[in-house]
Amino acid sequence: MGEKRDIIIGIDLGTTNSLVAMADEAGPRLIAGDAESDDVIVPSVVGFDETGAMQTIGTSARAHAIERPTTTVHSIKRLMGRGFADVEQEIAALPYRVEKRDAATDRDMAEVVIGARSFTPPEVSALILRHLKQRAEKHFGHPVSRAVITVPAQFDDAQRQATRDAGQIAGLEVVRIVNEPTAAALAYGLDRKEDATIAVYDLGGGTFDISILRLEDGVFEVLATNGDTHLGGDDFDNALIALFAEEIRDQFGVEITSPTIKQQLRTLSENIKKRLSDRDEAQIEIAIGNDKVYRKTITRNAFEQMIAPFVIRTLDACSRAMKTASLTPGDIDQVVLVGGSTRVPYVRKRVAEVFNTKPYTALNPEHVVGLGAGVQASILSGIERDVLLLDVTPLSLGIETLGGAMGKLIAANVKIPCQASETFTTFKDGQTNIKINVLQGERELAKDCRSLGVFELGGVPPMPAGLPKISVTFLIDQNGILNVSAKEQRSGKAASIQIIPSHGLTRDEVKRMEQEAITHAREDMAAHHLIDVRTTLAFDLNKVESMLHRHSSQFDETEIEDFRQRIAELRTFAQSCDDPTKINERREAFNHSTLPLAERAMTAALSGSVATDDGDNIQAPPSN
Amino acid sequence: MDERAISLPVKCLSCNEQLTTPIVCDGCHTLYPVPQSADFFDLLSIPRTFALDSESLSRAYRSIARQIHPDTFGGDSIEARNLSTRLSAQINEAFATLRDPVKRAAYILEIAGGPSAIEVREVPGTLLGEVMMLREEIEQAQKSGDEAAMEKHRETITTRREDTLRLIADRADALWEASDEDKKAFRVLLNSIKYFDNLLAELQADPLAAGKDH
Repeated sequence: MGEKRDIIIGIDLGTTNSLVAMADEAGPRLIAGDAESDDVIVPSVVGFDETGAMQTIGTSARAHAIERPTTTVHSIKRLMGRGFADVEQEIAALPYRVEKRDAATDRDMAEVVIGARSFTPPEVSALILRHLKQRAEKHFGHPVSRAVITVPAQFDDAQRQATRDAGQIAGLEVVRIVNEPTAAALAYGLDRKEDATIAVYDLGGGTFDISILRLEDGVFEVLATNGDTHLGGDDFDNALIALFAEEIRDQFGVEITSPTIKQQLRTLSENIKKRLSDRDEAQIEIAIGNDKVYRKTITRNAFEQMIAPFVIRTLDACSRAMKTASLTPGDIDQVVLVGGSTRVPYVRKRVAEVFNTKPYTALNPEHVVGLGAGVQASILSGIERDVLLLDVTPLSLGIETLGGAMGKLIAANVKIPCQASETFTTFKDGQTNIKINVLQGERELAKDCRSLGVFELGGVPPMPAGLPKISVTFLIDQNGILNVSAKEQRSGKAASIQIIPSHGLTRDEVKRMEQEAITHAREDMAAHHLIDVRTTLAFDLNKVESMLHRHSSQFDETEIEDFRQRIAELRTFAQSCDDPTKINERREAFNHSTLPLAERAMTAALSGSVATDDGDNIQAPPSN
Repeated sequence: MDERAISLPVKCLSCNEQLTTPIVCDGCHTLYPVPQSADFFDLLSIPRTFALDSESLSRAYRSIARQIHPDTFGGDSIEARNLSTRLSAQINEAFATLRDPVKRAAYILEIAGGPSAIEVREVPGTLLGEVMMLREEIEQAQKSGDEAAMEKHRETITTRREDTLRLIADRADALWEASDEDKKAFRVLLNSIKYFDNLLAELQADPLAAGKDH
């Protein structure tokens, strides 16, 4: 089963934070940024400059979120694989610009606009993935090209596709998409080989998943999954922000519009939420201009009342999952908590109540999914041979039938891979194309479900209406991604299928973006390099200028004048030239020519013939 | 017991080991497409009987799933990976069908050549009247919010369903040699389960959960 292959990494691509893991015979480990630090978390934040060139990623990008709210992109996961109309509400809460993508008139997609550039959500995610890929490459000392990426269990086909596209744009073959709660169970269950029924309660920044699994003989079998892709710790923050904004309006008559203050409120709210985890109350103070200061004390009790409606929604989903699995709380041996929001004591308390058992908290809820991605990577690379994961599809799959109903073909919570076939025919004589609208969701009407896209069957032999029989197979693979194939039954010929995704990228677009990402990365790097070279030159020129000034007595007038002129020329040159190599060559030549000057200045300084009031400003130019 | 022979390639074409299941070789993990003649029992290598215990069924499923799951063919050719995906889908369908006693009974009736639910729509004579009466009573209990009455109905219907299922279980393994008339009678019994299920769904306390279940 397979020769030695290159390494597979595991990635937790989160709404708020991302992690990269590796696994070998010793088990899964998270990879830190550098050997000295044990910081494994990369905030899912990308910082751009005003032109749209990528500047920073992770912790440094997040640090600039308040001062650069419009060019700092966070929470991009919320936009993945979704239409512009779907996310309009969320966009209102985002400080950066999101617009409807007009490059794709046949599809409804959103894009982030920074300066002159625009990015689809998979392109932004790809920047984070590339960063994680590079982190792993630095760790291994060789290139990495394959990855397992986790997604919320409730992600639909379009969201999974978008995640896979992001991987490809980042130069990663996504060999497996794994559901986050399932990955968490893998990490949890690896050390405990005994049979058990586990509930994984995963409350992240933006999504909620509950999965119930049976662990037996090393096989992790998902019995049921439920959840909400729009429920998470961000809702807790938003409740706080809404309260503050309302009180500021009432007390001071001020409407908060500035992106900076909005971002500041968000950061404060996040911190309050964290503080209330181990304290009974927390204060905030925020300057809102004109010497006005808004002050507020929030008690833990008040906070719990605010978040209760959200927590109750998660508990309802838990009950539904248990019902689907035909289990009662007494059947659940262990509850594993995943996601930063499960640090909130109220969440823990209510989860303990609904499952009637104390949740397992020994694993870091922010690391466990990443570790699980590492376990799955080791399964796929053949390192871990005793463990197998059998997951389910979170949503029902169907097609739009005549009259706009949802005709279900595959039910939710069915084990994957799974398949269903359906026979289609024509309505008109000689019709050679059939269009099928493929849907995902639990509602009865097509318009209430998510359209994955229109599948157009081509090459139907022209026959009287109703005669052709095209058998279409819908196969959901182990990644939860749909694959469709079609066959004309009379001729036995495979019919062609063209897919127009409702909210996704076409294969050609992904390929183009992969190329562009490499070009952009080069351009961005080149731009970065040019800025660095210019800065170094400016620094060197200033140094010489200052030396000429301080040691003017050591040089004669024409010498000084000659250097001043050359400095001015070089400054003009640096601004007009955008080739860093040329600038560097001129800089080195110039520095070389100043060497005798510097030597004279140093000698003078050392022999004390010159008053060195602040001699430490004098530096010899580099001697090489 | 059914006497049909399935056309297993008795030995693995790749390593010449004896095959224990029609779709995968224990020894070298070579995969084979499902033979035309193989049914769900063959796929899981379990005896063709209704009286399965769920433990051994699960064990058989897990053992096969382990050998054919696409995750174990990561480094193999695209053809092998595609075949493993398709086979896994078929194994999953086989397991889902055989695990559920009603679906298992219907499946045995199908492979024993009995009539489908479309061919024979009849239900036992007294059932329709009984169901109509129950439905009226349930509606009334729901309107008045009579939880105790609802619970009582839930118990009654569950018992009726279990009793029917017991009749089905008793007759299922005789289907292979049964007369057409007996097969039709079996289908009539099976049809009545759907009525009980619908009534139970109506009694469902949480309409959202009911929606997600089927």
